[in-house]
Amino acid sequence: MTITQPPPSASVLRRNNVALSGVATARPIVFAHGFGCSQEMWSTVAPRFESDHRVVLFDAVGAGASDLSAYDPAKYDSLHGYADDLLEILEALGLEDVVFVGHSVAAMVGLLAAVRDPSRFGALVLVGPSPRYVKDDEYPGPFEQADIDGLLDALDANYLGWSETMAPVIMGNFDRPELGEKLTASFCSVDPEIARHFARVTFLSDNRRDLEGVRTPTLVLQCSEDAIAPTPVGRYVHEHIAGSRFVQLAATGHCPNLSAPDELVEQIRAFLP
Amino acid sequence: MSLHSPPWELEGESTPSHATYVELFEDAPCGYLTTTPDGVITRVNRTFEKWTGHDRKTLIGTPFMDLLTASGQLFHETRYAMVLKLAGEVREVALTLECADGSELPILVNAIAVTGRDGQPDSIRTAVFDATERQDYERQLLLSRREAEASETRVRVLQDASSAFGAAESADALALALVGSARIALRASSAAVLLAESDGTLRLAAGDEETPALLDRGLLGLAHQAIESGEVVALSSLEQARSIVPGLDDALHERRMAALTIAALGTSTESLGVIICFFGRDRASDHETRDMQSALARQAAQVLRRVRLQEELEHRALHDQLTGLANRKMLEERLEQSIATSARSGRPLSLVFLDLDGFKSINDELGHRVGDKVLTEVADRLQGVTRAGDRVARYGGDEFVVVCDDADESAGAAIAERYRLEVRRPLASVPARYTIAASIGVVTWTPRTGDVVSADRLVRVADEAMYSSKHGGRDRVTSVTL
Repeated sequence: MTITQPPPSASVLRRNNVALSGVATARPIVFAHGFGCSQEMWSTVAPRFESDHRVVLFDAVGAGASDLSAYDPAKYDSLHGYADDLLEILEALGLEDVVFVGHSVAAMVGLLAAVRDPSRFGALVLVGPSPRYVKDDEYPGPFEQADIDGLLDALDANYLGWSETMAPVIMGNFDRPELGEKLTASFCSVDPEIARHFARVTFLSDNRRDLEGVRTPTLVLQCSEDAIAPTPVGRYVHEHIAGSRFVQLAATGHCPNLSAPDELVEQIRAFLP
Repeated sequence: MSLHSPPWELEGESTPSHATYVELFEDAPCGYLTTTPDGVITRVNRTFEKWTGHDRKTLIGTPFMDLLTASGQLFHETRYAMVLKLAGEVREVALTLECADGSELPILVNAIAVTGRDGQPDSIRTAVFDATERQDYERQLLLSRREAEASETRVRVLQDASSAFGAAESADALALALVGSARIALRASSAAVLLAESDGTLRLAAGDEETPALLDRGLLGLAHQAIESGEVVALSSLEQARSIVPGLDDALHERRMAALTIAALGTSTESLGVIICFFGRDRASDHETRDMQSALARQAAQVLRRVRLQEELEHRALHDQLTGLANRKMLEERLEQSIATSARSGRPLSLVFLDLDGFKSINDELGHRVGDKVLTEVADRLQGVTRAGDRVARYGGDEFVVVCDDADESAGAAIAERYRLEVRRPLASVPARYTIAASIGVVTWTPRTGDVVSADRLVRVADEAMYSSKHGGRDRVTSVTL
């Protein structure tokens, strides 16, 4: 019996749990999820491009149904590791002229990939992008380093307290061993340890220098009253990407895909020829 | 109104008054609030007012998220809101409220989305529990567990590194093992080990191949700083790089790097090299990272000393100390190899045996010290005209042997002739009246199928040919074929 190795492209697609739908011959549109969720966050938006696009969804390694064994902490210690994965997915599928839609940190991941290999990309749609979450004298942030540390504590309190390894210790107090599983196995599942590392990488990265390297037509979609990526940050992104378009959404909060999918779809479509 | 009767009615108790329900709601032992599907507060109970210190007027119309600390808002927006929307409920989510007096209140939150008749979300009901004690307790547990894990990890990393280093048999193999260990231990995007050469320059022995280019852009200065100070030198961001070594920031950014740390191997007086870790994002240099890198560097340096010593001993065992040429032991090993190669390929092999004429009188009349100088000078000359790949050995006092792979009779004779001419040139280390020359014997062996020859026999035949030259009047070449 001969053992056939799967082609590298198959392993890439499995690693990132890549899901394809829509019209196979149409222009590809790739949706990328941000920190804290999985490709499920696009469930109200992505299907609405299936009639005239090849729709590509995927989970970042560590999220959703991705291959957790592929998590190399050194590789994923910067957003470049995630950008490399994205380029591998596009290569595995042989995609060109891609419309990339990235939410939150995934907007930066797509941007880094487009700077590295512009040949694959036709348009970048950055939803709530931020090249840096910590503020300094010249940059609107809006967070302090202490807030990021606090987020790590919040992650601890929410994931690690109920994670399987901790469960036996806690069970005396909380007679609910299934809780941890519920929180992680239901929606937007993420591995707690990886989430913690991804939080550091997401919120402590500084990619401001990469903005000026973008050569792909770019749309910045800015939510109103976004506490994570407020309007001054979205404007900063717009001002540092030559030729980019800036649209202020009526949608409030950081997740227009959930709060205002109609408006989001409309604006993405309006940007595409 | 509810379609079902309350349970206490079934048990025959009297129906509580409206006021009782209000009290049950207002003074429940948990905070209670309802919001719009987008999270704007529409109703709160008294307990929640009391805990937060905000009155109901302020609270109603405010987004629930605005009551959270900045970290809580981060978690709310990246996780809580998303799961609530997709799953329709969240349970026992830990968040922190910012109270009116500026204090913080850790809470656990249960929330459930209520859908209207049309199936669309109508409102969200949220119960809030004071989690101060639980959070403290759990945090303590977590911190101690994490601390235990961290020290366990540290020990494991160092143990793994120690066995990887121990298996290294050369300095370059050790460098490679160090790169691997450092990448894992420090979660570095890449790493590089530079080893100090005998002239003090740093050579890339293993790791990121972009490193030499970065040395030219200012990294070299930092490496020397690490060597001289014995401290870990760190650049934690491109901004810091720009202020300390202008230009290095651009060079790093071009290579998708944002931070680096450097630790010296060995001490400032005995510099063995450096280990450099590169990071793809800003990395504050904390003491844990520095300690880990220092520990790896110390461990590697110890092994490096041993490996260097071993390399030195091996070199000495196989080389002539005076001239630096191969010694007889190495010659024998090399000759065995060459015979085997020739036997396989069928290509001819030549062996040149060279004895100095006139050396004995220099040694006797001018002393051993001068004799040694002459031998060194001759050795250098022989090396200078030796074909690439051929190996010159000092065989005995003033005897030299050269193994010439893939050399037939005429090639062997030509090589020998070059040596003869080279040796008879005037010497720099003795007065002009002292001259030396070379009596040379060459044996060429062309293997036929199944043919074998011993190393001893080749040397013996070449030695005899050399004697023929000596008896024939010295300063000449005698060739023999087998």
